[in-house]
Amino acid sequence: MNRLISILYWVSLGAVLSFITLPLIVVVAASLSPTSAVTLQPWEWTGRWYADLWSSRWLDPFLASFRIATVVAAISGVLGLFAAYAVVYERIPGSDGLMSYLLSPLSVPQIVKGVAIVLFLSMIGLQGFLGTPALIAAHVVLALPFVTRMVATSLANFDANLDRAAQILGANKLQRIRLVVLPMIKPGVLSGVTFAFIISFNNIPLSVFLVRPGDSTLPITVINYLEYSLDPVLAAVNVASMAFILTVIFLFEKIGGFSAQLHGGSK
Amino acid sequence: MKSLALDLHPPARRRHPPQWFPIAALTPSLLVLSVFFALPMGMMIGMSFAQTETFSPTLEHYQRFFTDRLSLAGFCRTALMSLLVAISVTVLGYPVAYFLARSTTRWRAVVFALALAPELAGVVLRTYGWLIILEDRGFINDLLLHLGLITSPLPLSKNLFAVVVGLTHVVLPFGILSLMTSIQGIDPNLERAAQMLGASRLAVIRTIVLPLSVPGIVSSMLIAFTMSASAYATPALLGGAGFKVLATMIYEQVLFYIDWPFASVMAMALLLMMLAISFVGVRYESRRRSRASVSSGGER
Repeated sequence: MNRLISILYWVSLGAVLSFITLPLIVVVAASLSPTSAVTLQPWEWTGRWYADLWSSRWLDPFLASFRIATVVAAISGVLGLFAAYAVVYERIPGSDGLMSYLLSPLSVPQIVKGVAIVLFLSMIGLQGFLGTPALIAAHVVLALPFVTRMVATSLANFDANLDRAAQILGANKLQRIRLVVLPMIKPGVLSGVTFAFIISFNNIPLSVFLVRPGDSTLPITVINYLEYSLDPVLAAVNVASMAFILTVIFLFEKIGGFSAQLHGGSK
Repeated sequence: MKSLALDLHPPARRRHPPQWFPIAALTPSLLVLSVFFALPMGMMIGMSFAQTETFSPTLEHYQRFFTDRLSLAGFCRTALMSLLVAISVTVLGYPVAYFLARSTTRWRAVVFALALAPELAGVVLRTYGWLIILEDRGFINDLLLHLGLITSPLPLSKNLFAVVVGLTHVVLPFGILSLMTSIQGIDPNLERAAQMLGASRLAVIRTIVLPLSVPGIVSSMLIAFTMSASAYATPALLGGAGFKVLATMIYEQVLFYIDWPFASVMAMALLLMMLAISFVGVRYESRRRSRASVSSGGER
């Protein structure tokens, strides 16, 4: 009986892990095969779908997504940093209420936020705002609470005595922020910014309402194609964009990691 | 030296800190959230209660929602789909979470990476993978036809089954993480003691691990439910016209029918479903906390 249970356990573990990896393997395989059908027959590997990516059909939405995600990461990084600093560090009156207001978008599903924003824009006659400007605004609303929460967490863990010491030694407020607080909470800020970049770059439920022809993001372009065909070039797009995201994470990690190391070395 | 002399009286400055700075630091965030979140949400809620021409308060759009078979069916489909995903995520995630919580071998890192890797891949890539697998001429049908087990392709895509499979895959890492945290909190000595006293593996799981990990099971189901109910891309691609849920119906109302009030009512229905589920979770958590403090107080 024990034997049976333990066999069952290992089999189920293996089955779940294959369930998790199967679609990823299938997409990579499809991106290298001549047709999108992943069959049991052997096929000739081909890299031509990746070569096809170098056309404006895929590069334009990629660059649009990249631009939007960069701006969103920058804006929500700066705003979230300042907001968390004001609420957590300065403990201004009503900080609890302010924090829940800052985090309130988290409890509303993205698709509902999307409807609300597109409705708002068309009610006040700002349809011309659709496309990149609206996407940036909506993605900032989405990313800002995450960044604020991450920065707030690292600020709450930061030893306030360091800041007091700097104050006693004569540093003014801006110097203290720049030389003491910022370096200490850098990992929190960096992970917040990385996260903001990724959720903007991969976003679908908000973007789907706000794109317009000729001004669309990469995931929206892909799902619009996917509704009609399983073109293997889409597999290549997906694999390439996943590789891109991994590179971004790696780079941000490197920046944070390196600076942390340098910081430790200088002590 | 000048600045040193100046800062010899920090307490005085501490007591009256310059209030302009935090206010200036907060204003941009509050402004952005008010203009692009609070105001639009308020408008949407107002829209759902307003008469289309005269803007006078009315419940007619809600009435329409609750008498319309299509939208009610969409609401029920959303709830059913989310419930099924919640169950399958918890059942499938459990063995992986147990392994991650208890293993000390180097395989743990491998399984951890495998379990969380899909999260980095993005929803579109994974959904595309499932489309290839579940399609009429897809991987599974091809395999089964090849083996001669079936003569015509099974209907695996554009239905509830496909959406539940796709969403389970999307949500699974979150379920695994919350189950793992909960199982890690169970003292492994309890399992060892039971085993030494002669309990079978099954009895250990049934009488010790499962009951003690109920909070993890609840939180995994709640996360899975709320994530599924608000998912858009997976139901849109794997369900399509054959399986419409609130999220995809809202999209249709906005972009094809341009029926703002009805889209607002549907969005409200989705929002209320989510809030109700989160409320259940919060209530459960606070009751559990109070019960835990009472029982630990009683033991002493």
